[in-house]
Amino acid sequence: MLRKLALTGIKSRLKDYIVLFSGLTIASAIFYMFEALATNKNFIEHNTTVGSALIIFQFGSVLLAIITLVYILYANSFLMTMRQKDYATYMMLGAKSRKIGELIVSETIVIGTLATLIGIVVGTALTYGVGMLLVARIDATVHSFQPFYLPAAIITLIFFLILFIFAGLVNRHQLLKKPILSLLHVDDTPTQIKYRPVVWLIEAIIGVALLGVGYWAMASLTKLNILAIPIALVTIVAGSFLVFNALTIWVLAILQKSKLAKKGLNGFTMAQLKFRVHDYTRLLSMVSILFALALGAITVGMGYYNQIPLMTEHSGIAYDTVVHDPNQKELREIRAMDVSQQANYAYKTANKTIYFVKNDFDKKPLLRVKQQHNMSLAAVEYEKITSDQIMSKTDKSGLQTLQELLLANQRNDQVQLVSQSQFDQLAQPAHHLHTVQVKNFRTDLPRIKAVYNSQVAKHPEIKEDFSNKYGFYQVLKATFSGLEFMGFFLGIAFLAMLASCLMFKILSGASSDRIRYRMLDKIGTRQSMLRGAINKEVGILFLLPGVLGVIHVLFGLQLFKVLMVDPYYQIWIPFAIFIVLYAVYYVITTKLYQSIVLKKE
Amino acid sequence: MTAIVDIKNVTKIYGKKGEKQFQALKGINFDVAPGEFVGIMGASGSGKTTLLNILSTLDQPTAGQVTINNQEVTQLKGDQLADFRANEIGFIFQDFNLLENLTARENIGLPLALQNVNAKKIDQLVQTIAQRLSITEILDNYPTEISGGQKQRVAAARALVHEPAILFGDEPTGALDSKSARDLLETMDDLNKNDQVSILLVTHDPFSASYCQRILFIKDGVIGQSLERGQKSRPDFYQEILTTLGTFEQ
Ligand SMILES: Nc1ncnc2c1ncn2[C@@H]1O[C@H](COP(=O)(O)OP(=O)(O)OP(=O)(O)O)[C@@H](O)[C@H]1O
Ligand SMILES: [Mg+2]
Repeated sequence: MLRKLALTGIKSRLKDYIVLFSGLTIASAIFYMFEALATNKNFIEHNTTVGSALIIFQFGSVLLAIITLVYILYANSFLMTMRQKDYATYMMLGAKSRKIGELIVSETIVIGTLATLIGIVVGTALTYGVGMLLVARIDATVHSFQPFYLPAAIITLIFFLILFIFAGLVNRHQLLKKPILSLLHVDDTPTQIKYRPVVWLIEAIIGVALLGVGYWAMASLTKLNILAIPIALVTIVAGSFLVFNALTIWVLAILQKSKLAKKGLNGFTMAQLKFRVHDYTRLLSMVSILFALALGAITVGMGYYNQIPLMTEHSGIAYDTVVHDPNQKELREIRAMDVSQQANYAYKTANKTIYFVKNDFDKKPLLRVKQQHNMSLAAVEYEKITSDQIMSKTDKSGLQTLQELLLANQRNDQVQLVSQSQFDQLAQPAHHLHTVQVKNFRTDLPRIKAVYNSQVAKHPEIKEDFSNKYGFYQVLKATFSGLEFMGFFLGIAFLAMLASCLMFKILSGASSDRIRYRMLDKIGTRQSMLRGAINKEVGILFLLPGVLGVIHVLFGLQLFKVLMVDPYYQIWIPFAIFIVLYAVYYVITTKLYQSIVLKKE
Repeated sequence: MTAIVDIKNVTKIYGKKGEKQFQALKGINFDVAPGEFVGIMGASGSGKTTLLNILSTLDQPTAGQVTINNQEVTQLKGDQLADFRANEIGFIFQDFNLLENLTARENIGLPLALQNVNAKKIDQLVQTIAQRLSITEILDNYPTEISGGQKQRVAAARALVHEPAILFGDEPTGALDSKSARDLLETMDDLNKNDQVSILLVTHDPFSASYCQRILFIKDGVIGQSLERGQKSRPDFYQEILTTLGTFEQ
């Protein structure tokens, strides 16, 4: 009988259950997607030379598990706001509490398990999709990448099952311990906050100061060394909390007293927000920090990848392409390039000696990159190497510069610079060494690649030669595309989970807001205005942690200054991706919220 | 003078065609003159709330016309309806319906804010109506910090602040103790007599009804009988209501 009642209860709230169910499905899908990478050791080892990648992934796993736990708790409280009135009513009518307890636990577990199983299927598809997308973007082969990875599926299932059993027990405990009356009146909790401007002001100042210290610590990594990270972590967590707890509420309280509050529903929205922000302080600060970690992961991952052209430029390799005996096709490619300098050195080989024309190097000296101490964005400077330096008995570096331009099998030969007439007398056939510097390596990349490939076809040993710029570029790409791939997965998984947390927290407050919006409707508020108020309210709840998260990232990237040429290079790309995804969550949340709150009876 | 509220042949059928249907209103006709204080009485389930929801444009009748302040509201849709409610109608509900996250002042000012009245004017109007209803002291309190009677006064202030054409009340005294109920009714009576506020009150409480000038009795979706107070004293009228109810309910 009770079971039947419970089922009709679910039926009557089918829409809410669909929301809950799809939320859980997405959560498990994302968890699976992440685990599919994190547990696949083969994949990680194959795709990066960075030894810490495995640790990063395990750390990410733990973090994701914690967010998932929080997420399940929120989703669960959403379930409970739907159910507790029903259950309390059954209990008031005399249903045995033991039976109700069983019902709650089994309902939670059944819903959870079903959602997880579907989630793993969705997760496999998601992993495949995102994987393919990334492979296409970074135009590299990713090894040992498996969309369906059994150990990941098993871990996901077990992890979620444990969470749901736990959630079910929490629910049972809550329902059976609370007095029935307070369950029946869950919606009637008071929602105003005492006006305490002095306390808020002090808290806000401390909060901002703590954030300042945290940001400073991250920027002073070189001074503080490893100490910078724990300092930043503690101060930023505490600072975010205080900023939400005091600063935003304080600003809202001031706004409430202003004229703006007396326009349309503004006053109502401010009151809603003040209560919400107060109620959500912990969640909002968690979201802002994890938002920063997620965005940071994508930014750094993509950042490394975007560094490649920059790093190539700063690789210490002077020439963009060096061509041995260029043929017509290669010359055509070179002519198409936006060349800033080029030179052609003729040489003849006799008895393990390579003869160049001395005068050629005086007309067009070799170029060598001037040594720079640390990575910096300063324009690369070149020094000119003339024939005297190449022939110098004391300093062999000039000679070396020339040798590096030769093919590997020529590097052990003697090099002689001779006059034009001596050169002409040599009977051996003349070869040509053609050096090219272009204005922009990136824009001429396709032509440089074509020349490189055509050279490799003739001299396969070039492939092993890292003093060739394009070859170096490819090595970088292989290393960092793996990093980008991981950063991306990590970031997306975090973001999706976080935004879902926020979504469910907001939605679980929706049922108590229904009364308020219905009242506003009764006194003649236009539907468009009600919708607008919801858009604003939810928008600000999304915006606040988002903005703080972005600020965290902007300062956090300082940490990578020692590892990257420019951590802020093309930063808008990851930000744009992130903002789009976050916006999608925002739109979904407002739509769901509106459908719950503005539902006509 | 034309009636402030005029309702003709209004019927209401709940439930879709083909499903189980229930006719809650079966052809209702009456009007309310400007400055009149009219009560609608009836047993539980007789259709009072249904009628009031239709009058207040929260629900559409299945057939018939409702005209309020010369506007046929059955013709209005969407935003027009909302605007009409915001401009022409004031409400008091049994369960107060105040927004508990706004102070009394903010609650009262809300209908004006919705109409984009400027902030200064809002403060002024709120102050005036609060004085009229003797709630100036509690204006900066939240609804949880004031008594039931005060809450209902705040609700009344909110219903009247924008000077609607008519004030509707659905059992406004239903959740009040007898002292607070009497205070509220005295106030409504006063507003009606001195400020010419037209009031339509739905109630099944004879005491509340005795404050009205005219009472319509509704039973099973039709108006069966009506009673005029005329020059009678309130206690006499109260007795008359009681006896009428005794015969009418049979
Ligand atoms: N949404 C609805 N769907 C179907 N029937 C309804 C609906 N609302 C009301 N009814 C029916 O219409 C009739 C009149 O209901 P109404 O709420 O108008 O009564 P009432 O006079 O206000 O009663 P009370 O004094 O108990 O508030 C009742 O029989 C009720 O069951
Ligand atoms: Mg009723």
